[in-house]
Amino acid sequence: MKKFVGLFLVLAVLMVVPAVDLVFAAGDEPGEYLDRRVIIWNLFYRLMTVGFVVGAVVSGTMIWQCWRFRESHPNAKPTPYEGTDW
Amino acid sequence: MSGHSNWPEWIYIGVIVALMVWVGAEAWEAERLVEHVPAGAETIIVTGQQWFWTFEHEDGTKEIGELHVEVGKAYKFEIISKDVNHSFNIHDYVVLMDAIPGRVNTVWFAPTDAGTHDIQCREYCGLIHYNMRGTLIVEDPTT
Amino acid sequence: MVLELQKPRPVWQIMFSTHHTDVGLLYLITSLAFLFLGGALALAIRAELFLPGAQIIGDAMTFNRIFTVHGTTLIFLFIIPFASSVGNYFVPIMVRYKDMAYPKLNAIAFWMIPPGGALIWLGFADFTWYATPPYSIISAPGPAADMWIFGLKILGISSVLGAINFIVTILKCKHPDMSIGQVPLLAWSFLSSSLIILVAIPTFAAALLMLLTDRLGVSGFFNPAMGGDPIAYAHLFWFTFHPEVYVLVIPAIGMMYEIIPRFSRKPIYSYNSGIFAFVLLSIVGFSSWAHHMYATGMSFTEKTVFMVGTLAAVPASAMHVFNFVATMWNARIKFLTPMMWSVGGIALFFSAGAGGVANAAMPLDFTTHDTYWVVGHFHLFVMGTIAFGSIGFLYYMFPYVTGRMYNETLGKVHFIMSFVGTVLVFFTQHVLGLYGMPRRIFDYPPIPEWIAMNQIATVGAMIIGISMAIFLANMIYSSGKGKLANTEDPFGVGGKYYYPFEAKNPSH
Repeated sequence: MKKFVGLFLVLAVLMVVPAVDLVFAAGDEPGEYLDRRVIIWNLFYRLMTVGFVVGAVVSGTMIWQCWRFRESHPNAKPTPYEGTDW
Repeated sequence: MSGHSNWPEWIYIGVIVALMVWVGAEAWEAERLVEHVPAGAETIIVTGQQWFWTFEHEDGTKEIGELHVEVGKAYKFEIISKDVNHSFNIHDYVVLMDAIPGRVNTVWFAPTDAGTHDIQCREYCGLIHYNMRGTLIVEDPTT
Repeated sequence: MVLELQKPRPVWQIMFSTHHTDVGLLYLITSLAFLFLGGALALAIRAELFLPGAQIIGDAMTFNRIFTVHGTTLIFLFIIPFASSVGNYFVPIMVRYKDMAYPKLNAIAFWMIPPGGALIWLGFADFTWYATPPYSIISAPGPAADMWIFGLKILGISSVLGAINFIVTILKCKHPDMSIGQVPLLAWSFLSSSLIILVAIPTFAAALLMLLTDRLGVSGFFNPAMGGDPIAYAHLFWFTFHPEVYVLVIPAIGMMYEIIPRFSRKPIYSYNSGIFAFVLLSIVGFSSWAHHMYATGMSFTEKTVFMVGTLAAVPASAMHVFNFVATMWNARIKFLTPMMWSVGGIALFFSAGAGGVANAAMPLDFTTHDTYWVVGHFHLFVMGTIAFGSIGFLYYMFPYVTGRMYNETLGKVHFIMSFVGTVLVFFTQHVLGLYGMPRRIFDYPPIPEWIAMNQIATVGAMIIGISMAIFLANMIYSSGKGKLANTEDPFGVGGKYYYPFEAKNPSH
């Protein structure tokens, strides 16, 4: 549970800080120009963080269920459909 | 027809839709910022042709294969092509815009540090596409 | 079974046949031949890119031709004909009809594949599989370019004829006692992809004709020197080919819908979600085409519209992933070769989609457009999902087609090596793209990171190549000398099948 709260905080920060930051975004004077690299790569890293978290959840689920529900698992039991006319 | 409840699937779809909305909103905002060309940006005309880049500054200076710019100034590239499609790319500064014959495409940037960077072509344009390269030289301000 | 090598039927009987199982076999052999030919080209590309400088390919023009024909072959001469093979063999059986709706048209559609393929291979054009003007008009050497155009014209007509056949067979020829809501998901996948083909392909047919007349100099649709606009071609091309990628992936997912429930020994979690996801994807797939054109100078509003269209397709694809994961939950899974390929395919499908979301975000396209990120991304789809699903299904249908079993151990070795190789090549290429390496380049500057990643990718490709050689040997040997299969339940997973396995071929 604590892990989920921690993760949620990380993700919330990822979303809130840039949004607030943009309020103070740069203008049109020399020395105040936006650095396109920073904006773009920053967005990329945030998307990658979210993407890898989702990816870890999805692929972790798949790996676990392939291990747990394989027919050679000691606790493997027949599905309700086996032996019927499904 | 399955006789089981569907709420896990609805929650899953809800999460995915929320994620996509977030991605879209963030991307929209970032693009809006990145596309805003500053008022005083100096125009450089970039011409792509098989298989080299040429540049023309506002004051008429022309360069072939190399582009000299100054730290701290904003530059607006007006990109044209003389023959086939090319794509002007300064990867280190995330500058990318196609050079399409018959139209002028615009992209801007403001270099922050002195140094040299590669310019490459990022749209297949034939035999020497792989070597249609150039150099961006960012110099410290002269004043 | 249609391929009994111990008691071979006369080859002319198969070649002139219009029976759906024979046409399916013809499509199968042709598509597999092109898989190996296109794959060999890929190995040549990877060998060349192992180090900067010229290695095994002498000059840039040859390299450019090789990657053009590699892409064209694997998309138009492997993926689509392979799907047609599966569809031809199983759709009539699934809807409990004796054959396809138009058997002679079916055979004609197949026989357009070899001439189309011959035109592409004998021409060996160099303008990438997009054939983008103005290069393809003013700079690409003929007659290769014209042969490619004619070849694709013929292949496009073949696709459309096949699509008409599938739609009529499924909607009009299904058994009277079978409602559309009882038709297996694999058949639904063919219905969806065929409907997309009908709507999308004519646009490309028009574009091809315009490209040809532009090349001949009698028109100026895309040639700026004659008042045309190259961007018009980009719109026409991508209007077809974005939906086309769904044409490629939907049958492969349909094939997974056959395998995953069966090897999990329970029905699919939600048949209705499967249908909904196929139909939704088919429709929404038409709303995103210009995300391939973000760098061409479109306005902010245009880019936003297409970004929204792209992101809108994600939930539909995600529904399939959920369906498969939920099906495997509380199952008793037998991990034989077809199941391994399908589950591996779904895992890679998810990774491919996740990378795609990054591309869809407009500003991120500046980092990834036309770099190896895109190459890695789409190969995770075409190799990781479509080829994996197709190869898995090929193993699955092997006993039906030949009456024999393939060697299971070699099948598993094939999967493991291909999975490892696929991850090594295509995940690495995502990072390589972020480091800026453009696509379609014969040579690259000796940047250490680029060299290292190219080498990893080449090693991965060679692993895939070796596994494909093992696969070929397994298929050929087992077709003639494999152990006879238990035709009621070749994989020992139990359950009643939706449709009778015996396909009654009148020539047997």
